[in-house]
Amino acid sequence: MAFAIEKKAVTKWLEKLLESGEVIAPIRTPCGDVLFSTIRSAEQVVWDFPNPLYPPKECVLPQTDPIVKIRRNGQHHEIEPIHDGTRRFLFNARSCDAKGIAFLTRMHEMEPADASYLRRSNNLTVISLACAAPCPLGFCICTDSGPFLSDGYDAQLTDLGESYLVEVGSAKGEAALAEAQDLFRKATEDEVSQRKRLEEAARHHFGEETCHFASAMRRVSTGRVPDALWEKMSDWCLECGGCNLVCPTCYCFSVKDLGLDGAWIRCRLRDSCQYAAFTLEASGHNPRAQRKDRMKRRFFHKVSAQYYTRDDAVGCVGCGRCIKVCLGTTHMPAVVAAIRKGKWHE
Amino acid sequence: MLTVPTTCPFCSCGCGFYLLAREGQLVGVAPSETHPVSGGSLCARGWSAHEAALWGDRLRQPLLQRNGKQESVSWDEALDHVAGRLKELVNAGKPVGVLGSSRATNEENYLAGRLARAGLQTNNVDFSYHPICRPLLAGLEEVHGKRAPSIRINDIASSQVILLTEGNLAETHPRAASSVLKAVEKGAHLITVGHRKTQMARLASLHLQATPGNEGEVINGLLAAILDLGLQDRTAVPIGYDALRRDLETVKRTEEVRQAAEWIARAERAAFLIAPSCGQGDQPRKDAAAFAKLAAITGHLDKPGSGVLPLLARGNVRGACDMAVVPDRLPGYDPLDDARSRQRVQDLWGKKLPSAPGWSAESLLQSVSGLVVVADDPPSVIPRGQHAMAAMGRIEFLVVLDAFITPTARIAHARLPIASFAETEGTVTNMEGRVQRLRAVTDPPGEARTGWQVLAELCARFDAAASYSSASDVFREIGQAAPGYAGMEQRLSEDEWGGALLETFDRAKLVVHPAGAAGVAALTSVEHPYLLARDSAFDWGHDPLVSFSPTLSRDYRSERKLFPNGFVEMCKGDADALKLGGGRQARLTSEHGEAVVPVLVRTDLKPGLLFVPYAYRDRVSNVLGTDSVTAVRIERA
Repeated sequence: MAFAIEKKAVTKWLEKLLESGEVIAPIRTPCGDVLFSTIRSAEQVVWDFPNPLYPPKECVLPQTDPIVKIRRNGQHHEIEPIHDGTRRFLFNARSCDAKGIAFLTRMHEMEPADASYLRRSNNLTVISLACAAPCPLGFCICTDSGPFLSDGYDAQLTDLGESYLVEVGSAKGEAALAEAQDLFRKATEDEVSQRKRLEEAARHHFGEETCHFASAMRRVSTGRVPDALWEKMSDWCLECGGCNLVCPTCYCFSVKDLGLDGAWIRCRLRDSCQYAAFTLEASGHNPRAQRKDRMKRRFFHKVSAQYYTRDDAVGCVGCGRCIKVCLGTTHMPAVVAAIRKGKWHE
Repeated sequence: MLTVPTTCPFCSCGCGFYLLAREGQLVGVAPSETHPVSGGSLCARGWSAHEAALWGDRLRQPLLQRNGKQESVSWDEALDHVAGRLKELVNAGKPVGVLGSSRATNEENYLAGRLARAGLQTNNVDFSYHPICRPLLAGLEEVHGKRAPSIRINDIASSQVILLTEGNLAETHPRAASSVLKAVEKGAHLITVGHRKTQMARLASLHLQATPGNEGEVINGLLAAILDLGLQDRTAVPIGYDALRRDLETVKRTEEVRQAAEWIARAERAAFLIAPSCGQGDQPRKDAAAFAKLAAITGHLDKPGSGVLPLLARGNVRGACDMAVVPDRLPGYDPLDDARSRQRVQDLWGKKLPSAPGWSAESLLQSVSGLVVVADDPPSVIPRGQHAMAAMGRIEFLVVLDAFITPTARIAHARLPIASFAETEGTVTNMEGRVQRLRAVTDPPGEARTGWQVLAELCARFDAAASYSSASDVFREIGQAAPGYAGMEQRLSEDEWGGALLETFDRAKLVVHPAGAAGVAALTSVEHPYLLARDSAFDWGHDPLVSFSPTLSRDYRSERKLFPNGFVEMCKGDADALKLGGGRQARLTSEHGEAVVPVLVRTDLKPGLLFVPYAYRDRVSNVLGTDSVTAVRIERA
């Protein structure tokens, strides 16, 4: 069922959402960056923006995520889970990020389910804004995660000029509309077909970045990528971990206890599988001591048939963030192309 | 969620990012696409920059050591006590001194200098990293004049040729390494000079192998080859080239050196990146001067895509120099005996300045009876770390201002807690001369105060301070004391990121002396056939910003757990011949003494070389003596 809301009424809707929860939306900082941030008023939200470099996965997987509080009580330790039950609305997320959060939720629903993550994601309503103009480095068309979505959102907005078409994808989406029911009307057939035309047009405006996952997948899954190629590529990686930290589908973490006021807060810290010490064992042995091995692991997880079969998707939503954030030159499209062609920088 | 734009506290690339805070606590880092240096990317250290301030062992209240234990006291009591004890020492005619830091802000360093010169009336002021970078800066200064011409880090990406003498650029300055990678991807020729086949060397068009301490021979070879080919740019440096040519007559030119020289001279845009090197005596300074000459005579100075970049390790090395926390300079890095500068600073501070140059960090630690240390930890930075630690243990009254409980803070008689980089306003100056703001994101823990406040209060107790109500007040005064910083406050306020570049150098001051090309005598002998060199790459593992970060400290911690006695590195061929490697113990003997250490095999080393990582230098201090490279004998222990 599709609805429509007049543009001038959106502020009122946002005000209603602000009354019932935390609203996270892209805002422009004085330095000129666009960042997903908690908003205080509807006017802060930007509507025409390149996808922020820092992804909104912070809403479900914060960089520093307190999980339990541990306190000593005589001979025992008391353990108290830290519940984040805040109701949140992620507003104006781009299609790739909505798909990214849906992917993360599938991963954390797998047994054993991650209660801490799911509590947050269950309280999060993702209201995405379809991309009438794909971003210059995006290649979501290769990963079925944009420019418009058919699933993965709670509500999806499409800019129709005077109004937004609002598609509802879940009960949470319905509830978000119900916060200001009288602002929405049933979309007309014209509006629905206009959305389809916009989607079709957007598909023809992608930039040069592409990712031919299928042929890379064949090679990665069958071990047909020569070790020498991984080694060569790994010299072009500066091990910053940026690719993992901004990837909408990465969820690696480590655990560390923070001493605070006589107690310890056990925190989940966002981590990168590209860091040498990520797989370092207590004995000092490191199964992936060399950078080429870590890189191989990353791309096996992202594009192998084994993981594709399990996860129902490649571990990439085509947002193109790794292209921008990579200190070296080993981002997703570059490595996938190298795997496919069997050569690097030649 | 609070998002505050600020400057990265680690290396001197000076990247920018947003620090994220929730409920008054740091929780993360977000990159910025608009920052002029980092433009969207960060290195591993940058990505974890929020961790140390949150997870580190922090100083929380002023502590004084009394009756063998640390007592928590009020700020007034602590400051009165510190000032009183220092005055007692000065009145008794005992030497006192101050250490600033490349981890401290410009404001903190400036006030540390003011405390020393105007308050304690001494030029005994330095910072621990200074002895390491001093020869490099002196060599560049000799040729280029006071301010070295810099290439902007991002401009390197448009260079056609890059000459890099490095420790390990990918590790020490990832942002600069990134620009090098981007240039190489576009087809630039990268020429590396060094003794290891590092990541950068593997990507190089040419790797010019050098012996530790003798990188200058390769650089002089390049100079000689350029003159042989007649490719010097006579308009850039109008000097008589005959004397220089005669001086270089005996220098070795290999085919590779000739090729590299031709690339450098024929390029429109060439970048010259130089890291502090090891070497005996005056050699590192001479090497740096030769490097500077190379850029000068090929006309690659101060134009887009061309220039020299000294690779200074820590974030605010350049700022610490500009603020003159060095024993022989005045604010603005002016010489101590420059009459006009002295007058300027004396007028500003209303105090007569001491005229005798002070001791440098290493001698200072050995000689002073009272010492104020501002955010520095000499044992982790100074080449002879344990020696420095032992010397500090003998100091009569040691005061430490720091955010973290460092080894130096542990033995201090007075510990004054100050804000970390995430809790203070202030500025830092990166290696390209970009002055940038730090912004406070959270409150300092416990009773900690900002460093500039504590230093201003100390200065006031010596009748040596103006009254400042903010870090900006201090920065404004810096503009009066250091002419390069004049008007900076206005420029910073006009820039969204709060950054502005210092003016570049004056081309008219170029000086190319022919001297200094004499080769270095071979150190090795039949008795001592191996060279042991101390790796000159900065040891981040002992820096509190790394050692207190759960993510960044893992590698270092694990290595130290596996090798509590450190190790030296050698190539496989040598190790096989001596039946060493895999952590087997070896006895090293030099003319200075001997030591027994484990040996590890490394694939990127040449035969005849032994390396000790900077972190483990003290394990072989008996063997190295005061040298950074020495000839040794090695055998299984």
